[in-house]
Amino acid sequence: MSAVSREPRAESRELSVQVTNVSRWYGNVVAVNDVTFTLTGGVTGLLGPNGAGKTTILHMIAGLLRPSAGHVLVDGNPPAGDPTAYTKIGLIPERETVHDYLTGFEFVHACARLHSLPDARAAAMQAIELVDMAGPMNRRIQTYSKGMKQRIKVAGAMVHDPAVILLDEPFNGMDPRQRMHMLEVLRSLGAQGRVIVISSHILEELNDLATNVLVMVSGRLAASGHFREIRKLMTDRPHTFRIRSNDDRKLAAALLGDKSVFGVELTADGIMIRTGERGTLTRNIARTARDTKVRVTEIRPTDESLESVFSYLVTR
Amino acid sequence: MTVAWLTWRQLFARRRYWLAAAIAVLPFVFTFFYRFASEDREGDRLVFLMNLNKDLVLAVLLPITAVIFGTTTFGGEVEDGTLIYLLVRPVNRWHVVLVKFLVAALITAAVISVAVLLGWFALRNAELSWAFAKGFLVATFIGAVLYCGIFSYLGLATKRGLVIGLIYTIVFENILARNLPGVKWLSVREFTVSLAEWAGNGAVKWPTPGVPMTTVWVAGSIILAVALAATMRRLARYELAESQ
Repeated sequence: MSAVSREPRAESRELSVQVTNVSRWYGNVVAVNDVTFTLTGGVTGLLGPNGAGKTTILHMIAGLLRPSAGHVLVDGNPPAGDPTAYTKIGLIPERETVHDYLTGFEFVHACARLHSLPDARAAAMQAIELVDMAGPMNRRIQTYSKGMKQRIKVAGAMVHDPAVILLDEPFNGMDPRQRMHMLEVLRSLGAQGRVIVISSHILEELNDLATNVLVMVSGRLAASGHFREIRKLMTDRPHTFRIRSNDDRKLAAALLGDKSVFGVELTADGIMIRTGERGTLTRNIARTARDTKVRVTEIRPTDESLESVFSYLVTR
Repeated sequence: MTVAWLTWRQLFARRRYWLAAAIAVLPFVFTFFYRFASEDREGDRLVFLMNLNKDLVLAVLLPITAVIFGTTTFGGEVEDGTLIYLLVRPVNRWHVVLVKFLVAALITAAVISVAVLLGWFALRNAELSWAFAKGFLVATFIGAVLYCGIFSYLGLATKRGLVIGLIYTIVFENILARNLPGVKWLSVREFTVSLAEWAGNGAVKWPTPGVPMTTVWVAGSIILAVALAATMRRLARYELAESQ
């Protein structure tokens, strides 16, 4: 059975996840700080650098952590301390560990039996086929690659056909083919009305998959919106480049006339240029250098780290 | 049943069955050498096996087996992060505690019962009747239940459950309880010694009186109830970040 052949869930279209003024702290460390959002059917990306609070948010939605302040509601009810909430929730944790002494089938079958499904064996087989693991399902999990472990975890989390699926860095360790397949599965499940939340620290992973993106930085919700809007925000943010040439002063003077440039600084290490239009500037640098007969030896962005990108979203 | 099956598989993962087998046959090795490698006198068998069961099986093998299986029932899953796969299922956490505890206790009792039976089988004679074996089997079963109650909690409460359990076994059960009269009223080892005599119907008779049976039942019940309640409370409040 393929990903798209699962029956759409009529009831999941009504279901929502509400996170309202939620904070979570561990002693003096604030992991999540006053975060509010509501999720309905479709795929939502939870984006942010490591340590941003993404996993804490997912675990609070999954009822594995209680908020220190605020409240989390899944289908109108707080999931923490309520085992029945897990009939609606499927969680794929980030940690690679699975019961490595079981075979893939035994693991997924055990998950199905823990949900007291009427035909646990059939449900397990369906979930295993969904993630394309029917071939190696009778091998012990300890013999699986990282990507295979990820997929068997996904099968275990989806075996009861949950309306809310929470995936913590699900693409870790998957090869491109496995990644494409998983993207197709998740896209299909999201289109059927399930609430799917995928945490990632890589924006490109969510490309063509997440309709909405929540950006977390240092425990705060830095930005939220449609994927394309968030991507544009990240692309159009001010960029700083360092340029080295055989005549920095002449090139700097010429670049000052470029409308895409709003800051030029001459340093001992070259020219530092700030721009809001990265693409335009990189094209114009070549043209300006040619016109002024200056030989450019190096163009290097100085603030491309994830942290600097996310920090911009917080401070804008 | 699925929680029990998963616990069973987990407890016997990493070749722990070899350890269990070694523990189960150890008393038999001693009885074998006693019978065939030394001067075996029929009249001494009772005293030899009573002391072997008391000082090796009940005092050492039973608590060590219970430490291994009792602390691993939660400790293993907390350590490797697989506990999450049980917690995100529609299963009450008290149910998880009860089932895991029972599986650990039954495995411990089964391993030590084999140890008791093999030793008894090797030396059995008119003095070493079935009542003798029955006395130690009852003591083993109840001892396993009490120890696993305590060690299940340790496995969930701390990452060093195994070490703390071993220290408890050595210091409390085998040093303090043997030397401080007041402490033996709380010692599971002392309870099992009394239980063997009580259930042995005269086939097991210790030279000095042990803990009265009323104390064994009352204190044992309290210890078990407190240990299970504490484990259930701990798991009910268990949050994933604790293991990360």
